[in-house]
Amino acid sequence: MKEKSRRFLAVDIAYLGLMILPIVAGIVLKVLTKPASDSIEITGAQIYRTIPMPVQDLVITESQINSWLVMVAILGLCLFLTHGLSTRKAGVRQHVAEWIVETVDRLVQDSMGTYFMGFAPFVIAILSLSAFSSLVTLFGLYAPTSDLNVVAGWAVLVFVLITYYKFKCGPLQYLKSFAEPVPFLAPLNIISEVATPVSMAFRHYGNVLSGSVISVLVAYALQALSNLVLGWLPGVLGEFPFLQIGLPAVLSVYFDVFSGCLQAFIFAMLTMMYVSGGFPSDLYFARQAEKQQKKMKTKKMEVM
Amino acid sequence: MQNLDVISVNIWQILISLINLVLLFLMIRKFLYQPVKNVLAKRQSELDKQYEAAEEASRAAEESRAKWEETLSGAKAQADEMIEQAAQTAKWRGETIVDEAKSQAAGIVRQAEQEAQLERQKALDDIKREIVEVSGALSEKVLEREINEDDHRALIDSFIEKIGENHE
Repeated sequence: MKEKSRRFLAVDIAYLGLMILPIVAGIVLKVLTKPASDSIEITGAQIYRTIPMPVQDLVITESQINSWLVMVAILGLCLFLTHGLSTRKAGVRQHVAEWIVETVDRLVQDSMGTYFMGFAPFVIAILSLSAFSSLVTLFGLYAPTSDLNVVAGWAVLVFVLITYYKFKCGPLQYLKSFAEPVPFLAPLNIISEVATPVSMAFRHYGNVLSGSVISVLVAYALQALSNLVLGWLPGVLGEFPFLQIGLPAVLSVYFDVFSGCLQAFIFAMLTMMYVSGGFPSDLYFARQAEKQQKKMKTKKMEVM
Repeated sequence: MQNLDVISVNIWQILISLINLVLLFLMIRKFLYQPVKNVLAKRQSELDKQYEAAEEASRAAEESRAKWEETLSGAKAQADEMIEQAAQTAKWRGETIVDEAKSQAAGIVRQAEQEAQLERQKALDDIKREIVEVSGALSEKVLEREINEDDHRALIDSFIEKIGENHE
């Protein structure tokens, strides 16, 4: 019994390590590679390596690395939460895991319908990846969500899903929908179709990036103000940016925590809305039933 | 070290990010969603089983209770019947005994009466004979002669009859 519990604890610690170590690794990597600077720098992610590829060079950037680290941390969290699940004695951990699954299940059920219940893990994945990617800024890391490419990848995947379900519902109907209400509006229809992923990607990326930009600007302005007002103090006191205490923290709570979670939620909700909106399931089932009936009829004819 | 522009599009990065999301989806389904769902389903099935067992138990209890009640009421009725039967038997037997005793007594009385009658007859006969003898002897002595036996007897008989009548 004791041996078993000790092993259980060891596995727990391993999972916790899997959760925390990626963040530590990210911080260490940043400290090692990024030179500290006093000036404002509003740039994209840092490029670690460039790999020549056809069409465009593949660049391995901070955002890629951070996003992988976040994925590993999420994997650790999942393993930690589901470690030692039992039907009788449910601990806090299991309650959290069950709460996550049941809440997302309910969300998917309400906004997409029972046909799309398989989307629940996907929604959890979007929510967690997006939220944690934005929240790594709390550790001073570069948020992968403030890189357009990362969010665009997710939006493209969502676009693929939307198109797949529209096609599944009725290929001819889907193609015909471009020529409505009049055929010469087809270009506009195509643009509106493509606008979906573009708007999703830019919304998410823009929100997170603007948050960090504002944070940097405010911090810099406060430093300048501090130098101006309190610069006459002797020695270290004069150099210390006292005014930077307070306001940036409040801004961080809004831009990093609230906005990050909100954008994750918005992205997930939009995904559900678009996918289920492009697939009227009752219409689909009606068509399936019709097809089935036709098949039956032809079979009967053959038998006759 | 170089930095990316704030707005830059890189196809490969987009592709990597897409694959990342798919991978994370698979991981979450494998390591979070399905285990939790399995546990929930298992718990539900266990609960169902428990409920079923409880219902089964209560139904069995109800059944056995009904059976016992039936048995109990049957036993009561049986006991009542037995008591009644016993009472009847006792009554019947008592009546029989009384009847027997009565008839026996009547027999005894009748026998006694018969015996008494017989005795009386015998006594009467004895007396008659003695009286006849005595009266015969007396008459012989008085008349010094033999009287007609038959006349004599008839006379005596009538006499005795009379005595008997008076006597009774």
